Amino acid sequence: MSLSTSARGGPPHWYWAAPYVAVVFFALSMLTLVWLLQQRELEAERGAVVRDLQWAEQTMRRQMLGTEEFLGQLARDVAAEALDHDGFQLRANQHIANNSELVNVAWVGTDEIVRWTAPFDTTDWLSGEALAGEQIRLMEQARTSGRLIYGDAYRTARGDTVLEVYVPILRGGEFRGALVGAYSVERMIRHLVPAWFVDKYRLALRNARGEVLAVSSKLQDVDESLSVELAFDPPGNGLALRATALRGGGLPRALPAALILGLSVLVLWSLWSLRIHVMRRVQVEKERDRLFNLSLDMLCVVGIDGSFRRCNPAFERILGHAPDSMPGQPMIDFVHAEDAGATLDALRRLAGGEPVKFENRCRCADGSYKWLVWSINPVCEERLVYAVAHDITGRKAAEQALRAESAFRKAMEDSVLTGLRAIDLSGRIIYVNSAFCRMVGWSEDELVGATAPFPYWPEEMLEVCERNLQMTLNGQAPASGFELRIQRRNGERFDARFYLSPLIDVSGRQTGWMASITDITEPKRVRAALEATHERFEAVLDGLDAAVFVADVRTDEILFANRAFKRIHGFDVVGHTVRGVAVPQPERGDYRVDPRGLTPADLPRELFDGELQHPLSGRWYHVREQAMRWVDGRVVRMGVATDSTERKQTAEVARQQEERLQRTSRLITMGEMASTLAHELNQPLSAIANYCAGCVTRMQGGKWKPEDVLTAMQKASFQAERAGKIVRRVREFVKKSEPRRSAVNLVDVLDDALGFADIDARRTGIRLIADIEPGLPPVFADRIMIEQVVLNLIRNGLDAMADTLPEQRLLVVRARRFGDDAVEVAVIDRGHGISEEGRQRLFTPFYTTKTEGMGMGLNICRSIVEFHDGRLIVDDNPEGGTIFSFTLPTESASERVARSA
Amino acid sequence: MSELPVAPEQIIHVVDDDEALRDSMTWMLEGNGYRVLTYESAEAFLRVCRPDMAGCVVLDVRMPGMSGLEMFEELGRRRCTLPVVFITGHGDVPMAVSALKKGAVDFIEKPFSERDMLRLIEQCLMLERDSRDKRLQEADTARRLEHLTQREREVLDLIIVGKLNKQIADVLGISIKTVEVHRARVMEKMGANSLAELVQHVVTVEPGALLR
Repeated sequence: MSLSTSARGGPPHWYWAAPYVAVVFFALSMLTLVWLLQQRELEAERGAVVRDLQWAEQTMRRQMLGTEEFLGQLARDVAAEALDHDGFQLRANQHIANNSELVNVAWVGTDEIVRWTAPFDTTDWLSGEALAGEQIRLMEQARTSGRLIYGDAYRTARGDTVLEVYVPILRGGEFRGALVGAYSVERMIRHLVPAWFVDKYRLALRNARGEVLAVSSKLQDVDESLSVELAFDPPGNGLALRATALRGGGLPRALPAALILGLSVLVLWSLWSLRIHVMRRVQVEKERDRLFNLSLDMLCVVGIDGSFRRCNPAFERILGHAPDSMPGQPMIDFVHAEDAGATLDALRRLAGGEPVKFENRCRCADGSYKWLVWSINPVCEERLVYAVAHDITGRKAAEQALRAESAFRKAMEDSVLTGLRAIDLSGRIIYVNSAFCRMVGWSEDELVGATAPFPYWPEEMLEVCERNLQMTLNGQAPASGFELRIQRRNGERFDARFYLSPLIDVSGRQTGWMASITDITEPKRVRAALEATHERFEAVLDGLDAAVFVADVRTDEILFANRAFKRIHGFDVVGHTVRGVAVPQPERGDYRVDPRGLTPADLPRELFDGELQHPLSGRWYHVREQAMRWVDGRVVRMGVATDSTERKQTAEVARQQEERLQRTSRLITMGEMASTLAHELNQPLSAIANYCAGCVTRMQGGKWKPEDVLTAMQKASFQAERAGKIVRRVREFVKKSEPRRSAVNLVDVLDDALGFADIDARRTGIRLIADIEPGLPPVFADRIMIEQVVLNLIRNGLDAMADTLPEQRLLVVRARRFGDDAVEVAVIDRGHGISEEGRQRLFTPFYTTKTEGMGMGLNICRSIVEFHDGRLIVDDNPEGGTIFSFTLPTESASERVARSA
Repeated sequence: MSELPVAPEQIIHVVDDDEALRDSMTWMLEGNGYRVLTYESAEAFLRVCRPDMAGCVVLDVRMPGMSGLEMFEELGRRRCTLPVVFITGHGDVPMAVSALKKGAVDFIEKPFSERDMLRLIEQCLMLERDSRDKRLQEADTARRLEHLTQREREVLDLIIVGKLNKQIADVLGISIKTVEVHRARVMEKMGANSLAELVQHVVTVEPGALLR
């Protein structure tokens, strides 16, 4: 961090000037060095140019000396007249071909007329032409000096610059003309120096007047500083050669200096920018530092290992820890033990590179804890986290208080059963409590913000609801509130009462209307239910077939009568006494207790339960009377009389049907048994008959062997035994099926039997009379069997009287003691009686005088009676008819027998 | 008809589950000179039963396993023409009546008298004998018919429908003389002494012959 350095003040000025000075100094020295180097190089180059030029001049001079010599030779040959025209041509042309700078060679006679010229195709020197001006002067000089003379270079008509040399031809000292050689200056420049020289330098030939006669290169790009001039002699005459170095492909000479200057400027500029930037940074860091130090929130840098690296002074202010003491201490050491887990989790997430925000409690220097909210951002590459902690202890406490307050209010709101709903002045719901939400079934979220029509307004009531809302908003709601039918979410409607009051805010301004809503469905329903109950009660009572009345036990006044009662006894009975209307009711003596003596404490109490006949209509009623407490506290008796006439008849019919069914089933069982018996017996009987018949046949035929017949007879008797076994089996079967004897009240048995027989008796118009001695002791018998015996005998008696005159049709069932230990039962009819022969066969199985009988009845009866240690006796009735009687032992008698046995 | 085979001995087959009854029946019937075979069940009888048995069957209605009635129906299916007398016990009368409707000769209720039983058996045997004679006669006629040549058969068919010799000759396109020869051959081959006898024999075997 640059924070610490900047904190100690700004740097000295030389700190800033040094780089600039250094850069300038460096640039100057570099420039000097470069200049020196370039000077030396220039010197060297100039030396080289001088050398090269001297070399070139020498080369050119040697070339020209060669030509001079050739011309001298030629002159001598001409002088000696050893040469003809052709020879001249040949040698001159040859020389020209080898020295291209030489363009013409001519012999000019002393008359200054051109005699011979070479090459032969030249146009400049034509034979016979006379010399002109300067040429004559040169001719003269050559004639006079007898030496070779160079002329000045001049420009020919064709534009070529030509230099002429005159070599006098002397014959024995006689001037005989001159040989003229014409050099092309341009060719001299071009051809007499080598190519490398031309590439390197521009070679110029100047005359004495300083005019440039020829230049080796037309290039203007020359370095005039590297220019060397040298007098060119021969030919002399002030001719000079000037070589100027060509500015080749090398770098410009100023480039290094320019580069150095440019770079220095660049460096200076960048230094300046850097300085501006640094200044700005310093400013920013100062500000940041101030921010860090002056921040009210705790700022710190924490290592990824969780220990503090740097803390701001807020640590001291908030927690009391000196910022200097913090670095190196693990952060977790300050965290409240309860928050350590959450904090560690957060730190772990931090380690994952994720910024976190969490709250925890940290220990102060004084040992107390403060709530802090931490915002921490990790910088993974630095392995540091930057944390900001804000002291929220106060907020926490306030929150806590607010929460408690809010919870209390919420609890209060939730616990009231009255629905609360607030609307603002525009009719928008701004608040509903939970009781209201429960009431209507919409959630708070759905209701708050809703405007008319509200969801709980039923479709059919929209207009009414809208009107009420308008009245409310206009402040015209009645003090007693509205009663309004609203709907629940499930469509159910209910009645609610709205009480409205203005909603006044803290500043005393009305912000809306508060409504308290009470569900009045329940009270309404209770009232309706009560009415319905009453109606139901009346409907039930009126719907009853039973006649119901309530009468005061003392005054006997009828206090209440249902419709059935009124229908039977008149519609004005209420107010009359019970005795006054002909109600079938028990005599006073029939009551279990005297109702008049009852006090309310004894109630309720059953007074009577029995069947009574209506004295006038003769119908039967099942009457129940009960003493009870009337609504006003009086003791009353309530009577319920149910017409049981039809039930009695129905029961009678049902009993008859049941009885008939039983009889039929008994017949069927008996029939099956008889059939089986017959089949079983048939086998041995048929066999016996066959054996006997076979014997008879054989004996009649006379052809028989006694042993055969004997065998057959033995077989027959064996079959007879088999038949006997079958019969025994049947008897055992009969025996097995009846083992249950007990003490039986004979009167009950006879009553039952008479009840059954009564149906048949009535059908046939026979009177049944029970003549039972009172106080008969119980008998020891199987009740069902005895009942069967009696019933069978009665039925026989009834059947026997089918032909008796109607007025004599009388059947008496008599029961009386028979000695000390037995009871005798007799069934006495006035029927056709039994003949002597009939009496003989009376108990024979399957003997019957009835068309539909089996002939088993009496037989079984006798078996049953004998099973009960009694006897079945048949006597003639002295009054006509028959008396069947049997005895049964009394219970005490059989006990004695059992004991003695 | 003297060529008919000697009549096989008629046997009374007693089928009853009760051993005593079988034994006593045997005793009684043998005393009256009949041949008796007894079977303890319907199945036992059906195992040995053959269509050419002679005699009659005395059958108990109520037996364990196959009942008498079922066995009777089985005999019908097997084309066994032995006459059947049912013995019924008590309460089996409706069953016996239905058996009568299906072709049983008669039924007798247990216990029965010897006289009634013998009368029924005699009736059965006679019935069986007659039917067997008839059957044999028919078989004989059928066999003889097969021995006729094609032409003789044609002549016979025409004779039966009452055509005169002349008509026959016209129909068949042969001479009266030839017809007469054929006719004599037919009478001889069929063993008929008269035209009436011939017609009767043929018609019993081929009831449709008259309609041709």
